[in-house]
Amino acid sequence: MSFFGFGPSADIEIVLDGQDSRKTAEIKTEDGKKEKHLLYYDGETVAGKVNVTMKKAGSKMEHQGIKIEFIGQIELYYDRGNHHEFTSLVKELARPGEITGNTSYGFEFQQVEKPYESYTGANVRLRYFLRVTIVKRLSDSVKEQDIIVHTLSQYPEMNSSIKMEVGIEDCLHIEFEYNKSKYHLKDVIVGKIYFLLVRIKIRYMELAIVRRETTGAGPNTYNENETIAKYEIMDGAPVRGESIPIRLFLSGYELTPTMRDINKKFSVRYYLNLVLVDE
Amino acid sequence: MPSTPQLSPQEEQEKLLEEGISIVKNQSFQMKRCLDKGKLMDGLKHASTMLGELRTSLLSPKSYYELYMAISDELRHLELYLCDEFQKGRKVADLYELVQYAGNIVPRLYLLITVGVVYIKSNELSRKDILKDLVEMCRGVQHPLRGLFLRNYLLTCTKNVLPDTEEELATNDYEYGTVMDSIDFILLNFSEMNKLWVRMQHQGHTRDRNKREQERRELRILVGTNLVRLSQLECIDMEKYKKVVLPAVLEQVVSCRDPIAQEYLMECIIQVFPDDFHLQTLNPFLKACAELHESVNVKNIIIALVDRLAQFAQNEEGSGIPPEIQLFDIFSDQISQVIQNRPDMPPEDIVALQVALINLALKCYPDKVDFVDKVLETTEDIFNRLNLDHSSCSLEYGSPVSKELMRLMKIPVDSYNNILTVLELSHFGPIFDYFDYQSRKLMCSYLINNVLENDTRIPTQDQVDNILNIVNVLVQDQSDQPAEPDDPEDFAEEQVLMGRFIHLLQAEDPNQQYLILNTARKHFGGGGDKRIKFTLPPIVFAAYRLAMRYKEAKEEDENWEKKCQKIFQFCHQTVGALIKADMAEMPLRLFLQGALTAGEIEFENHETVAYEFMSQAFSLYEDEISDSKAQLAAITLIIGTLEQMSCFGDENHEPLRTQCALAASKLLKKPDQCRGVCTCSHLFWSGRSASQEGELQDSKRVSDCLKKGVKIANQCMDSSVQVQLFVELLNHYIYYYEKGNDQVTIQVLNQLIAKIKETLPNLEANEETEQINKHFQNTVEHLKLRRDGSETEGPSYEELVL
Repeated sequence: MSFFGFGPSADIEIVLDGQDSRKTAEIKTEDGKKEKHLLYYDGETVAGKVNVTMKKAGSKMEHQGIKIEFIGQIELYYDRGNHHEFTSLVKELARPGEITGNTSYGFEFQQVEKPYESYTGANVRLRYFLRVTIVKRLSDSVKEQDIIVHTLSQYPEMNSSIKMEVGIEDCLHIEFEYNKSKYHLKDVIVGKIYFLLVRIKIRYMELAIVRRETTGAGPNTYNENETIAKYEIMDGAPVRGESIPIRLFLSGYELTPTMRDINKKFSVRYYLNLVLVDE
Repeated sequence: MPSTPQLSPQEEQEKLLEEGISIVKNQSFQMKRCLDKGKLMDGLKHASTMLGELRTSLLSPKSYYELYMAISDELRHLELYLCDEFQKGRKVADLYELVQYAGNIVPRLYLLITVGVVYIKSNELSRKDILKDLVEMCRGVQHPLRGLFLRNYLLTCTKNVLPDTEEELATNDYEYGTVMDSIDFILLNFSEMNKLWVRMQHQGHTRDRNKREQERRELRILVGTNLVRLSQLECIDMEKYKKVVLPAVLEQVVSCRDPIAQEYLMECIIQVFPDDFHLQTLNPFLKACAELHESVNVKNIIIALVDRLAQFAQNEEGSGIPPEIQLFDIFSDQISQVIQNRPDMPPEDIVALQVALINLALKCYPDKVDFVDKVLETTEDIFNRLNLDHSSCSLEYGSPVSKELMRLMKIPVDSYNNILTVLELSHFGPIFDYFDYQSRKLMCSYLINNVLENDTRIPTQDQVDNILNIVNVLVQDQSDQPAEPDDPEDFAEEQVLMGRFIHLLQAEDPNQQYLILNTARKHFGGGGDKRIKFTLPPIVFAAYRLAMRYKEAKEEDENWEKKCQKIFQFCHQTVGALIKADMAEMPLRLFLQGALTAGEIEFENHETVAYEFMSQAFSLYEDEISDSKAQLAAITLIIGTLEQMSCFGDENHEPLRTQCALAASKLLKKPDQCRGVCTCSHLFWSGRSASQEGELQDSKRVSDCLKKGVKIANQCMDSSVQVQLFVELLNHYIYYYEKGNDQVTIQVLNQLIAKIKETLPNLEANEETEQINKHFQNTVEHLKLRRDGSETEGPSYEELVL
């Protein structure tokens, strides 16, 4: 907008190094749309150029300084005013002065720590972005550029299977078994349900993946459960002694890594929910 | 308010099915369109929606089947498309994984199977592993109907891709799998399908049980297809069948404890696998039969197997039953085991099993009579056990057991078609005791009819004794026969059978024949008045025939004359039995026949015997025959007999012929007298006496007889009868005239003719008159021919007045 020539008379563009070759990833925005951004990992350098393009060729722009920030922040939707920045790095690109003509500034945040994974949930969002600010007397020109961060984790040393016997007395006893307790995002859940006692008429059985997002702390803790997947694994009523196979491919669902107590603000956990529906 | 018409269940089914089918059509159309445009994922999505229709619980098995067929047709299209793509090298990575994202299990598994088979056909992944995975994953569908059809789809799709190679040949291609993998695959699918099928029985309300069982029967072929598929694997040899396939199948069948499944599957095994496999696995199979649910009709199963093997044994192309397999013993033992295991088995089923066994024995071992006898022995034992006191509770006619037992007993009769072989079965006869009166009669008639139809001769006394003991119910009164007598027609029919049967008692050796007749006489003699009428005459005739045989072979037996005498004594006494039963006409005839026979045989004393028989006939005539018609018939017979005989010397012949003349003239009615006397006249003409050569030709006595005849005829009041008698007399006269009797002259003929001509026109015109007239005309015609003929021989007719 350019009222009386006070508005930004220059376009700001952030061009990250290796833009064409770097992997990208998708993330949901708050309103459910999907965005694609460049993907970074912890400790990677984030470098690039900031191009300031004058709208009118040959015009000039006065400023109080140009800076670029690298910010990692957690936004709690119920607390819009407060963004918790867990990372904030600043680089000065230009001292106060005047820009004449198109100008490029290189920047580099070396080996930036990116401790958490980008995340958009029901009540919380964790995002990383670069912000260029051209400080001006009346209103600053700001440009933000999101990046996505994926964290890497190691295969767990212990990944025992989950095996459990549950039931309703004299009605239903089942034993279920999942081959692991920790799954990666493209993993396959393999398991089986063994019916030890069936005295009710079951219509079907399904396996649900539930995401539990916990925000806040202490008395203000808030849990949000969301069923990510419903997967029918049995149709009809089994009899005693029947064993039903489970095989669920995870890569088709929008899962994130399990997150525990991220910056003391939130957690995301995944549960497998076995649902038996009777007549 | 518009009322919605209540739909009948059937209409509702049709409506539901129609809706389902239309969705299937729509979705499959879109699926094909997407596939044509190369949009595989969209195509799969439509396929999945289409398959969603198979998740319904509302359709009856029949409708579900139709829906299933419609859908599997469309899936074939998808399969073809995918196979094409793969062949063109356009592979879709992770298709096998992709289709598994379908949230609902039924569409997911159908798609997985379709894709799995495409992978197998294009050699993508390990065939062996895919098959294993598919059959395992299908466990997810536990709903019986949906599960059965899903697994049937699996079975249908994999039909041509099951590995069928020997293990040792496949070592270098491990992934491909061997026949053993196919066996495991099918066996698992089979047992899962069977479990689902059995489970259907226990669903829903008890009042729908019949409907449910009907539905289950409609679905049985789905389960049976597994066995068919197994039987189509060429690499399953005897070893594998015996060690792997059959034990697993039987274990599933026995352990499911479901009568419908057991009955069907056992028969299925029999039908789908080859005979030589069965032959090698009889013991385990039959053992399994013994362990089946008590309401299973084991009988049918065993009978089916027996029938098959019996057919196999008779098949000329086949190698027959290998000698090392004791087919009969195995069946015999196992069947008795089955019977022992089932104390509640109805006796008719037990007998039916014996029927099967006897069929087996007869078809596979036609020469082994002892096998058949063993079956009968077992049967007898069974009945002994069933009712210790069988005489008081014999098998009621028409009851299932009785019917079954009859069937059993008829088999050896029909298959040997020789009573003599049947008699070798020592346990055949005793079983008859278990039948009630009615059944016994039927069985015995059947037996005797068989003898008659096959014209089986019974050559020894023992055999005769044996048979007559068996068919005792037709021979003598029974302790258990009903108070009211049998239907006279039926009774006569049975007894006629016995009469005919007697003629088949024929020994080679006459002495044996004599013993046979004695035995028969003993048995039939006790038959009571009603029966002996039918049975003793044939014995008497057989005895006469035997006497003739002795005569014909008299050179071979120096004692033949004594034997003949004995035979006539036997006959005399037998005829005596008939007389005691208040019969007269039959004994009279038998005596006359005896006299004729004795006269002809000329053994020592034969004249006395013949005379005795003649005199017996006379006394019967005098004492017992009172009806005038019967009297005339009897005297005519006596006269005829005497006329034929030539053995009597004058001292015997004279009283006999005089007696005849006397008896004839003493007949009550004039016409009878007239005819009797005329007939008698022939005795004096062509009768023969041993004392002189040739015929008697006593012209005087002949003429006297005829004159007496004319006199009697004149006394007749009824002019029609009178004329008739005159015509008859004329014929007699003409006969004698032609024979040259000098007492008969042409004048006598003329007189008679004139008399007849005078009376005849006065007769009332009716049928009788017509007949008399015709007789007379014919006679006149004869005379004319004689008179005008050129023949010079014989007496002259010149003076004849016509």
